[in-house]
Amino acid sequence: MKTIQFLTVTVLVILFSFNQGYAQMSGQEIMEAVYNNPSGENIQGQLEMRLINKQGDTRVRELQQYIKDEGAVEKTIMFFLSPADVRNTSFMNWSYDDGRYDDQWIYLPALKRVKRISSDSKSDNFMGSDFTYDDLGDRHPNQDTHKLLGEEVVDGYACVVVESTPKDEAYMYSKTVTWVNKENFIGIKRDFYDEDGDLLKTLHISKFEKISGYWVILKTQMHNVQKDHRTEMIFTDVKLDQEIPENKFTERGMTLGR
Amino acid sequence: MKKQITVKRLKLYSWLVIVITLAISGWFTWELAGNARMETDLDEYMPKDHPAFVYSDMAEDWFNIKDGILIAIENPEGIYNVGTLDKIKDITKALQDMEAIEDADVTSLYTADNIVGSEYGLDVKAFYKRTPKSEEKLKELRELVIANDMVQGRIVSDDETVALVVASIADSVFSMQFYEDILAFADSYEGPENIYVAGVPIVEGTMAYLGPKDMKKMVPIVIVVIILVLYLVLRSIRHTISTLAVVLISTIWAFGLMAVLGISIYAVTIMIPVMLIAIGVADGIHLYSHLHLFLDEQPNATVKEALGDMIRNMWKPVVMTSVTTAVGFISLLTSEVLPIKYFGLFTAFGVLMAMILSLVFIPAFGFAFGISRKKKKQQSKTEMHSFTERLANNFALATIRHKVLVISTTVILLVVSIFGIQKVYINSSFLENFERDSDIVLTDAFVNKHFGGTSSINVILESEDKDAMIRPEVEKLIDEMQTEVETLALVGNSFSISDYIRRMNQVMHADDPAFDVIPDSQEMIAQYLLLYEMSGDPENLWKVVDYDYRKANVTVQLKSDNSKDLNQTIEILEKYRAPFSELNVEMNFAGSGYKALVFTGLILNGQIKSLLMSIVIIIILLALMFRKVSIGFIGAIPVVLTAAISFGVMGLLNISLSTTTALVSSIAIGIGIDYAVHFIERYKIYALQTKDKSLTIGETMHHSGRAIAFNAFVVIMGFLVLLFSVFPPNRSLGALVSFNMFISFIATVTIMYLVLYKSNVFFNKKKTKEK
Repeated sequence: MKTIQFLTVTVLVILFSFNQGYAQMSGQEIMEAVYNNPSGENIQGQLEMRLINKQGDTRVRELQQYIKDEGAVEKTIMFFLSPADVRNTSFMNWSYDDGRYDDQWIYLPALKRVKRISSDSKSDNFMGSDFTYDDLGDRHPNQDTHKLLGEEVVDGYACVVVESTPKDEAYMYSKTVTWVNKENFIGIKRDFYDEDGDLLKTLHISKFEKISGYWVILKTQMHNVQKDHRTEMIFTDVKLDQEIPENKFTERGMTLGR
Repeated sequence: MKKQITVKRLKLYSWLVIVITLAISGWFTWELAGNARMETDLDEYMPKDHPAFVYSDMAEDWFNIKDGILIAIENPEGIYNVGTLDKIKDITKALQDMEAIEDADVTSLYTADNIVGSEYGLDVKAFYKRTPKSEEKLKELRELVIANDMVQGRIVSDDETVALVVASIADSVFSMQFYEDILAFADSYEGPENIYVAGVPIVEGTMAYLGPKDMKKMVPIVIVVIILVLYLVLRSIRHTISTLAVVLISTIWAFGLMAVLGISIYAVTIMIPVMLIAIGVADGIHLYSHLHLFLDEQPNATVKEALGDMIRNMWKPVVMTSVTTAVGFISLLTSEVLPIKYFGLFTAFGVLMAMILSLVFIPAFGFAFGISRKKKKQQSKTEMHSFTERLANNFALATIRHKVLVISTTVILLVVSIFGIQKVYINSSFLENFERDSDIVLTDAFVNKHFGGTSSINVILESEDKDAMIRPEVEKLIDEMQTEVETLALVGNSFSISDYIRRMNQVMHADDPAFDVIPDSQEMIAQYLLLYEMSGDPENLWKVVDYDYRKANVTVQLKSDNSKDLNQTIEILEKYRAPFSELNVEMNFAGSGYKALVFTGLILNGQIKSLLMSIVIIIILLALMFRKVSIGFIGAIPVVLTAAISFGVMGLLNISLSTTTALVSSIAIGIGIDYAVHFIERYKIYALQTKDKSLTIGETMHHSGRAIAFNAFVVIMGFLVLLFSVFPPNRSLGALVSFNMFISFIATVTIMYLVLYKSNVFFNKKKTKEK
């Protein structure tokens, strides 16, 4: 009897605290809040990308990146700093709001030419990492249906857990589950499930800071649990809202280096 | 009065022996039924700590090297139509859905990356996702394939009638069930296209399946024939049954003990009953042969007297032959291959059990069921006796008279054999175990005709230096090596990182074939690879190069798994060891084909080593047993001749050495020793008894020579049955066992006998005294 009483009380307490905190927000609303988290129009900084395979071999790439959000199109340009033999190689991506495929260019200094590359879809991996282009971009909350699963503490942050199921059945993930920090609406952790409903990847954000008034993610890791392959991205020297010249995001800009 | 009680007692004891023997057999049979475990994973046979295997296993892990099941889809009208393309896609996806197969391990036109150049850049994309429906789109796809030599001729045949779906599987995945599932799976896609299944796992699987299946069918027939011939020789159902019972019970005990100890049954384990049947009947035949001769001379002797005389006279040679044979087999413990060690150990155990059973079970059986006597036609039997006696005597004399002929024939045979031995070659080929017109060989030939090859060798390049594999001089050397090795007719294709680089260099230069070369700058190569990674799924790249470009994997595809061909290919590849070494790059080999090659070499070396060792042991043991050094050498004659001639004939007849054929040489020891010891022991007894050389040779030839002839006849007839087997390795097994028996027999009664006679061993003292 005592056990049952205790359980009932516990459940009531959980429900109560849950009601208190997020009674007013649905899964949809939470994901919209995440989506609408202001991110700044101009971002620049250094990116260290670490690729780690299941044997533990690690490859490190350092890049200087610039991002400019022009509303209908988000332009990104990256310059390789290392390894030495790909130094000054640059990569430019234009991502469109209207769902068109991204435009991508690459400049190979050894070839001294800018080439277009084209990817079949957003499910392609970004630079051989565990991130797809889609994982890196913002997915509009209207593309999924959201369900609030409950609350959990992750890395000491109180989070709400939201399950998102794509409306498009052909989408590469059958569902994702996101742990959203209640304070700042940053998704701290996300599980991606493959077509068969098995866990495919886990995204984990281990460092974020408020810079120039925006919440900025500084360290993130994607772990493909099926292949046991990891990608770490570490951002340093991040500057926001500093004007980046428009001609940086041109084919000529690509050849000039950072 | 007293005597009768002892006979009664003896009968009681005999029944006790029989009951206990059967009870033990029953228990072992029960253990065998419950615990026997068949080992089909070939990797389990290989010594885990041998450097070649350790390295290969490591390399297989680095580059995900696995054996591929090849499913070929043939449409004589060409593959570029909706139906066939759909089928390629369906088979690919169904394979990917299988539990045991990972998505990335299935390669086909549907999964292949197409690296294409266009006026504006580079594209890495699938050839098709949705099957193209219109004529126009189909034509477009066809042109894409033709333009890409990383696909054309590799997964789509040059004549466009066949497409391949390759599913790589880990060795551990393979099981009989999986094998049957895959065949049933392929079969379900049959029509209108023809579906063929080939590849190393299939060949291994078919062999693992067919060999034991065929043996299960053939062994009972072998036993029936042996029963019939035994009866013909022994003229007694009771004697036949008890002789065979000894062999079968000792086999059950050997297998039962394996089951009790939890040791798996390996493919070579099948050779244990073969050995025990060939060797085990000897004891019974010699015992009964002695009994017959005794009863011929004393037809009115009691059962007790007859059996008593038999054991008194024969226990010594039976023990001697069995112990020497067992020691000979135990020498196989020096082998590096675990299943061979078990083979040696448990054959030795079986031989010793057969010895004990012969000395205990056979007399017990005689007391319990009585012994067969010749009742009728007493007269003609005695005539028969004197006929065989005359024959033996004449043969003994003739051999001595024609000693020059005997010796010169032996020397010629030995010289020819030594010549032949040098031509003996090892062959680890699995495929050549099958009939030339069998399905599996035809399928393999079909796939080889249209594609690069069903077998492969992996060349693993490794360097201390980071980025070593993308240095242009290394890349160029890889390319050069591939070009040279591809000039061999049996090498269909080769594949490496340099194929990617050349392809991308051409594509990035507007598809100009002049750029189908390795570029001169390392930056260029690094940037191409970066570009490839950014454009497509880099997963495929990690099959040819490692993460920090220290290691590379060059796959050479061959249209044959014959060891000669593999060695010829390796010889060419070896030429590049020194140039690579100058670039600080180390070269090694890996992959299942290479492992099989090394493995067969190991078995053979071990076999030859233990053969030589057991000959030395036999010489020592015989010398000790007969207390004469010369007997040691004389007794080894049949063993040495049998081994030499059987290897020599294999060399001359171009029969390759494989695991099975190499092991057959063990039989030379077992049988050669049996014959020699029985013969010498008899010779010694008569020599001491009669002190007359000519009497001795006649008697020995009649007693021992007769039993040896019977023994050889029985086993040869039994094993000749295997010539009708559908599985070629079992056929050569039958032929070789029969041949070995025959040579052992002839060598014992001719040359060994002649040397024994000429050496005057057991007469020396007398003669010198007389003179």
